[in-house]
Parts: sequence; structure tokens; C-alpha cells
Amino acid sequence: MAENSTHLKPIKPPKLRDRSQLAVSAAAYVFVGAFALFCFIPFWLVYIGSFTAESQIVQGFRMFPTEFSLDAYRFLLQGSQVYESGFVSVFITVAGTAGAVLLTSMFAYAAAHPHVKYRYVLSFYIYFTMLFPPGLVGYYLLISNWLDLRDSLLAMLLPLLFSAFNSFLMTSYFRTLPFELNEAATVDGAHELRIFFRIIWPISMPVIATIALFYALTYWNDWFNALMFIDDPHRHPLQMMLRRIISNSQNLDYLNTNANTPVSATGVQLSSVVITIGPIIFLYPFLQRYFIKDMTIGAVKG
Amino acid sequence: MGIWRELRKNKWLYAMSLPVVVYVFIFSYVPMSAHLLAFKQFVPGKGLWGSKWIGLDNLAFFFTGPDWLGVTINTVYINLLFIAAGTICSLCIALLLNEIRRAYFKKVTQSLVILPHFISIVVVNLMVINFFNGQDGMINRILVQFGNEPVNWFQSPAVWPCLLTIIFVWKGAGWGSIIYLAALTGFSEEYYESARIDGAKRWQQIRYITLPLLRPTIIVLTLLGLGRIFYGDFGLIYGIIGDNSLLFHSTDVIDTYTYRSLRSTNMNSYSNAAAVALFQSVMGFATILFFNGVVRRVDNDSKLF
Repeated sequence: MAENSTHLKPIKPPKLRDRSQLAVSAAAYVFVGAFALFCFIPFWLVYIGSFTAESQIVQGFRMFPTEFSLDAYRFLLQGSQVYESGFVSVFITVAGTAGAVLLTSMFAYAAAHPHVKYRYVLSFYIYFTMLFPPGLVGYYLLISNWLDLRDSLLAMLLPLLFSAFNSFLMTSYFRTLPFELNEAATVDGAHELRIFFRIIWPISMPVIATIALFYALTYWNDWFNALMFIDDPHRHPLQMMLRRIISNSQNLDYLNTNANTPVSATGVQLSSVVITIGPIIFLYPFLQRYFIKDMTIGAVKG
Repeated sequence: MGIWRELRKNKWLYAMSLPVVVYVFIFSYVPMSAHLLAFKQFVPGKGLWGSKWIGLDNLAFFFTGPDWLGVTINTVYINLLFIAAGTICSLCIALLLNEIRRAYFKKVTQSLVILPHFISIVVVNLMVINFFNGQDGMINRILVQFGNEPVNWFQSPAVWPCLLTIIFVWKGAGWGSIIYLAALTGFSEEYYESARIDGAKRWQQIRYITLPLLRPTIIVLTLLGLGRIFYGDFGLIYGIIGDNSLLFHSTDVIDTYTYRSLRSTNMNSYSNAAAVALFQSVMGFATILFFNGVVRRVDNDSKLF
């Protein structure tokens, strides 16, 4: 098919950028542009709001404020809570993502390997947990009573260590790899683990980066586990810190700050948001080129 | 015999899968046992196995109570809104992004529409509070500017299914469009070329070529969504509504209801919550089986199992 089409190329149809094309294009630019703005405006309001002077922010959000101030950041950054929470978030995200990618990729590789006779059993074993989720009560009992992880960082780390969805994404990617690669290496007498880490891992970098991004975002954005299991403020991640100062805006003592500038709760909330989503925005362009392509490979086939 | 030979032959491959097998057993299969609590009177001190069997009392309590029908209807209704609005918006974004020729504009807009997918519900919650709150919220100030009465959003349950849907679309439609866009770009240019030669207008090409080709993708994704219709979007709904009981009437879904039952100070809270969770799991399982049967008929290649 593809070859034929190149042969047929010379018979070019008359350039039909007719009016219908123009109308559709115009509609596309308007609609997509409008939706992009709709998505972007809340971010802009939060971002610019965090730098707006207190006198203006109390009157509500503005697209283009005229008075600026860094008081909210000063207030936040002079407190100890933001550093403790930041450390917890970074630690959980880094450790969790590393562990999760390792576990998931090893499992997905075994579940995709054509030599493994029970690979579909392995897949179904995972799949069944999606069909019949354990439910909130069991989950709560497991973490808080049976494993006794209350107020432990592990209560935020362990529950997100494996995602069935990510595993299927990887499995379907590994299935597309040329199997001859392994065959050649096995004949050379290389160990399975060696093959995996030395041959498969490097050529799978795009999908590994995608999965790592997904896990990292899940860890970074998680607040539910902290809400359920972490009472000690010293172990609250950034999302939980944010939730605390949103749901209880009267109580900025939580931030443990000794700054005595008068600030509005809203200003502090906004600057916390900027600090919380900063790393995501920063990493976004680097990772974006990977995931759009790879997510679709897995999703369409898997 | 065969099993052991197989395990031994590929022992390293199976060993690589072992951590996840053990992990999933502990974190997904072990907690399933808590469904038994639906038939027990749970006393934390006695544990799951030591507590007394009480038959169907917990389920009876749930089904004779005033809430079960309401939360079930809310769950299904809000999910239907999410699926319908999400599918339509994602599809439109994908179709229209595909029409954009300027690479720079396309790249920037695509990045922007995907961006909300990456932020946490806590941040969304803050945005919602600040845009919708009583006097000085952005939306109300705009309403007042145009001569309307401000609306007390957080005390008006009727508007929330709609607002939650808008938030859902804001957060997820751009991300959802990726999958359609990927399918779209795979379609052969030949179809369009011959249609153009036959004088088809651009929207006719979309209507009669692109949409029919996308049909299987749309159907499968919709059915996958329908299969989870008894699972409310806990993060979104609890994250935004929280414990605001004024809004429960229209926004309380099975998941948030279970969560509150679990956290209540009621003596029997675990068992009550377990009864709801069991109801949800059974209904969810039945729906998935049902819709998988439907997929099997519509498009056998896309069936889940």
C-alpha cells in the first residue's frame, strides 16, 4: 500500500485549498485557541496573583494587576513547613519513581517475553485487580492496621509503587521489540537480567521515560494517602500542606513562619501553588516529546 | 509437572516478575478480604477474622437507609455527564488540532490543553474556590459587572453536576484528545485525496471519512468508561466538594459516601463502609462483564478479555 502511494504521487490533484478548507481551518484556529486559553487562564491568574500586592489580591483576582509584591513568598519561605513538606515530596517522588519504574519494567518484560508460557496468566493476575478493585475499606485496613504504616513515609510510598495501567503500557511496548535481539544475546550465553538491563533497557528509554513521568506525577500530586494516613505535619507532602492552608485559611500558623509582614491567606495559597506546580512546568517540555508518542503506542494497541 | 519445568526453565524471567506478583498480592488481593466485613460486625480489637458474623444486616442497613439510591444515581449520572462531555470535547480538540497547519501554533496549543492534566486536585480545588466563592470570586464579579445577581455557588447543589463536568473537561479533555489524534494521524492520506478529487468539502471529509474511521476507537473508549460507571471520580469530587454537606444532595457519589462512612465515629463504621464497597465492587464487576460482552459483539479485536 505504502509503496503504491509513492508511485501514484505524480498525479497530483489540483490544489484544492478551497473555501471549505479555509472555513474548517478558521474554525479550528478559533476553537482550539479558545480552549487553550480556557486551559491557560487559571494558571495565569494563580501565577500573577501570587506576585500581586496584598491590597489588590483581597479585591479578587485580576488578569493584569498593577501593584506587585513578594510578601507572600517571603512569608511562606521564612516558615519551616514548606521546606519539610518539600523534602517529603521530593523524597517520595524520587524514591517512589525509581522503585516503581524498576518493578514495573521487570514485570512488564516478563509478561511480554514470548518464552514465558504463563505470560497471559501474569497479565490476567494484574488485570483482575482492575476488574475487582479491593475497595477503600480493605485498603484503609491494610495500610493503617495490618501493615501499621500510620505516620510513616512508607504509607505514601508503597501504595503507588505499581500501576496496572502503566504496566500494560510497557508490556505492549515490549511486545513490539524485535525478539531476535534477545535470541542473539541468549545464544551468546548472556544472563536474562543482563539482557534486560544492557540491551532492552537502553532501547526502551522512550517508554521508560514516559512511565517514569507518569509515576513521578502520581507521587508528586498525591494527597489522598497523606490525608488518610499522615497526621504528623512534619511528614506532610507539599500537596497536603497546600490542602491544609486551603481548607483552613484562618490558620497560617501551620506554616511555622516567623515573618511578621501582613499577608492575605489567598496570597500565601497562591504562592504555595506556584511552588507546588513549579517543578512540573519546568520538566514539562523535556518530557512532553516522549510521552505523546509513546502513550499512544501503548494505548492504541494495548 | 509441566508448571515446574516451565518455571525452572525461565526462572530468571519469572524471578523478574516476582516482586510485582508479591506486591499485588499484598496490596490488591489481601485487601479484598475486607469485603467479608460486609457480613460481620467489625470490632477493631478482634480483627477481621475474630469479629462476629451477622449475615446481611449491614447490607440491609445500607439498602433500607435513605442514601443508597441517591448516591447510586449521582454516581451514574455524573459519570454519564463526564463520559459524554469528555468524549465530545476530546474528539473535537483532536479533529480540529488536526486541521491546524502552523506547527508552532499547534505545538503551543497542544501543550496548553494538556497542561491541566498534570496538576493535582488540590490545586484545582484552590482555583475553584477562588473563582467561585461568594462575594469576591472572579465569576461572581463578572456576573455583577454584567448586571446579574451573584450566585452563592457553594450553597447551590443543582449547579454542581454541571460545574464538575466543566472542571472535568478542563482537566482531562486535552489529555484525552491525544489518543484520538494518534489514531487520526495514522489514517491513509489516499482516502482524503480521492475524496478531494471527487469534490468533497473539508467538513464532508471529516464527516464521512474521519469519523467513520474513528468509530472503533470512540466505541471502545466509551465502553471502557461505561464499564467504570459505578466508580465515582473520588479525587475530583472529594477534592472539590469535600465535606460540604450542602452539596451532597447532587454530588455525593458511592466513593465519597464510603469514605465518609469509614471515617464516621459510628461504632459499626467499617462494616457499613464495607457493605457499600461490596455493593460497588459487585456492580462494577457486573458492568464490566456486560460491556465487555458488548465490545465483543461490536468489535471483537478490541475486547478486553
